[in-house]
Amino acid sequence: MTTTLFIQSLLAGVTNGCVYGLIGLGLSVIYRGSRVVNAMQGDFSLVAGIIAYLAMERLGAPILIAFLGGMVAGAIVGWIVELLFVRPTRKRGGTEESFLLVTLGGAFAVSAAALLFFGRDSHPVRGLGGNELLDVFDAAIRVHAVWLIVLSLAVVVALRFFYTRTFIGKSIMAASIDADGATTIGINVPLMRSLTFLLGGAVGGVAGVLVSPLITIHYEMGLLLTLKGFTAAIIGTLGNPFGAIVGGLMLGLVEALAIVFVSSGYKDVISMTFLILIMIAIPNGILGHRGRAGG
Amino acid sequence: MTAISMQNDALMQVRHISKGFFGLTVLRDVTLDITEGLITGLIGPNGAGKSTLFNIVSGFLTPDEGDVVYKGESVASMSVAARSYAGIVRTFQTPQIFANMTVRENLVAGCHKLSSSSFLANLFGLPASRRELAEMHGVADDALRRFGLQGIADVRAGDLPAGQQRLLELSRAALAKPDLLCLDEPSSGLNAEETQQLRALLERLNAEGMTIFLVSHDMDLMAVSSTVSVLCFGEIIARGSFAAIKADPRVREAYLGA
Amino acid sequence: MSLGQSQSLPAGSRMPRNLALIAAAAVFVAVWASVPLLASRGTVDLLVFTALYSIAGVGVAFLLGQCGIISLAQSVFYGIGAYATAYGTTALGWHWVPSLFAGMAVAGTVAFLIGWPILRLSGHFLALATLALATIGHVLFLEWDWITGGTLGVGGIARISLFGFVLNTPQRFYYFVWIVAGLVFWLYANLLKSRAGFAMRAMRDAPSAAMVLGVDVHRLKVQVFVMSAVVGSLAGSLFASYVTFVSVDSFGIDRAVSFLLVAVVGGAQTILGSVFGAAFITLAPNLLSKLGDIHALVYAGVLVLAVIFLPQGIGGFLRDRVRGLLNGSGRAGR
Repeated sequence: MTTTLFIQSLLAGVTNGCVYGLIGLGLSVIYRGSRVVNAMQGDFSLVAGIIAYLAMERLGAPILIAFLGGMVAGAIVGWIVELLFVRPTRKRGGTEESFLLVTLGGAFAVSAAALLFFGRDSHPVRGLGGNELLDVFDAAIRVHAVWLIVLSLAVVVALRFFYTRTFIGKSIMAASIDADGATTIGINVPLMRSLTFLLGGAVGGVAGVLVSPLITIHYEMGLLLTLKGFTAAIIGTLGNPFGAIVGGLMLGLVEALAIVFVSSGYKDVISMTFLILIMIAIPNGILGHRGRAGG
Repeated sequence: MTAISMQNDALMQVRHISKGFFGLTVLRDVTLDITEGLITGLIGPNGAGKSTLFNIVSGFLTPDEGDVVYKGESVASMSVAARSYAGIVRTFQTPQIFANMTVRENLVAGCHKLSSSSFLANLFGLPASRRELAEMHGVADDALRRFGLQGIADVRAGDLPAGQQRLLELSRAALAKPDLLCLDEPSSGLNAEETQQLRALLERLNAEGMTIFLVSHDMDLMAVSSTVSVLCFGEIIARGSFAAIKADPRVREAYLGA
Repeated sequence: MSLGQSQSLPAGSRMPRNLALIAAAAVFVAVWASVPLLASRGTVDLLVFTALYSIAGVGVAFLLGQCGIISLAQSVFYGIGAYATAYGTTALGWHWVPSLFAGMAVAGTVAFLIGWPILRLSGHFLALATLALATIGHVLFLEWDWITGGTLGVGGIARISLFGFVLNTPQRFYYFVWIVAGLVFWLYANLLKSRAGFAMRAMRDAPSAAMVLGVDVHRLKVQVFVMSAVVGSLAGSLFASYVTFVSVDSFGIDRAVSFLLVAVVGGAQTILGSVFGAAFITLAPNLLSKLGDIHALVYAGVLVLAVIFLPQGIGGFLRDRVRGLLNGSGRAGR
């Protein structure tokens, strides 16, 4: 194997890893704020990708506006999901399973709606910097992929700041850790939960607009993105946003090496096996220490 | 600390158990004998490590150091279920009843160890499996009478008041005639009258030959114990008869939070 | 058969109730037997699929209802059964019976090997592990085309023949598949009212207390998981024998979801609930197909609504009504 090919696949691994990390980041944000494992995280990205595509191709919007629109769309979907799905389930005494089932249903609903209104075809989305390539040791990387990596890291830093420095960030954490206690000190717990989904949706939206130019949008892409994001989040300890990016990068590199050494057909088999092995071997992730495996 | 006796009549010996969580030591070198045929008490203020010790004895937690010897053999490698088969049965601080089953069904489920039919025999409804189920129902009906639960036999267990849930959990635990019955705060949530009934029940079970390991901070209930150990900040600070312990100044100090 | 969980009834009123049950059962059997004679071929075909999906679905429902395990991997075991029958009866030239049992053995073994480690996980971890498994299964079905024929599929699968009587029409298959479904329900009903059934219900309500009573929780979960895989494979084999052609499209994640839907819509607490769930996932797309691709959206909407508003599913809802009627206590209205 040539060095160039190797570097090429490493670059692809890092790029994909950032995408998985961003999805995992959104999952972690929602899990952290509401203890719900959101099976429709990847579908937030699907919606954002579609909105960005429509804004550019049908309305002729500039790319940044289209991307911003996609992110806002993701946030709005997140908020709606909290209001329509999660809140009624919680009111009726939902268990861990019912939250998962209800968001799973939501994931299929989004996917089915995309099929209905958007069709079976894959759609290419324009990226930042068009299709221009950068040269890295003879290997090529798209300018958009570089932006993707930079923006992913920016989101991580911004979230860290949000949770540790801002009043709303701290209130969200308080509402999640002790809902009754937070209520007594005047925090609007239902509002914080809605904000959590809004934020998770926005992060999903960012992931969606950034990944769409690289993989083209397709109505079925949500679930696999969710699964890979979940792998990233688990590797990096569920609920820890920083860990999700690290986990995403690990998963991305494993996949890239799998493509090089095995075959691209088995890419998903290897990443899903990796997920299962990680859950069995280190259920609390590389940064965690709380017990999660049950008897 | 008094000298540790290693008599042969100890049903269980807790030997030099230490346990910490995230660098915080919860139990430090705890050694304790549970004498066969008697009621052994363990008291201590909240956070003393009583529940941790209980979880180690019953197999829910693994100690960092030390060993639990039961009937002369270490149970370190045994699962919760395996310890149950060996005769160690416990109750929980928050009663763990089967909420969606009736009281009678809770007791039938409690007969699990008394029966042995395989999954496949159950699946095909073999005669042995049916006969066994009838026997389990028989034992459960018997227990309903013995523990005075006939009146609520068909009530959904989750709908019972806290006191009756506790009684149900205790009856279910005692049903399979364990050799060592470990009770974690059995009187919490009970009123004075129910506590008296509980006390009488414990004495009766003990008279029937059941060894009891009782954790409580209820001094009234603790009076049934033959010996009492005091656990404070992860260490045994005193042991002796109930009267002696009650009079011990160190115990008073620990309880009053000096 | 009762609607699922055994319930002890007061002894006094047992006789007339039994008579009523026998009469109801007789009417039911008469209706069941006469349907293929009266209904159209297309309707009978749908009812065959209802039976197939209720066999695979009851395995998922039992896991969910009695063990609290969300399994999205049933499509894998359904696929294993279907490909065992396809490969066995075509490439190997086997009779359909050994092919079917080979599939069940492979599915059971795979479930055991995978279930042993992953069933130690809890809640959503386990659910997502099974979803990952479904993804792996789907890719392998696609890639291992020397067995599965990949996207092209396998055709010419042997039909089921009983003593020379070939089940080559929906009507003939209808009787056979519903009898098999009845046997599967009977097995699960046995399990529910046995020692293992009590242990499962105990485990679902309070796992730590179940362990203290001597229940080996992990072993029990593995047993139920293997059982569910075996019935999934059985349904897959029957499916392959019925349609005589299988391709990878039948064993994707959407199939795993529809089996879960059988459990959620039908109600995981009752065994016969699976029939309602299976009828829903078979009939609804058919009725809605005139509307085009929208049926997928309706599906998803039903899943969401069922989780929120009908946590016990159709089966549980009906069971409560029937109990209300039998007890005459007006408990029927929720």
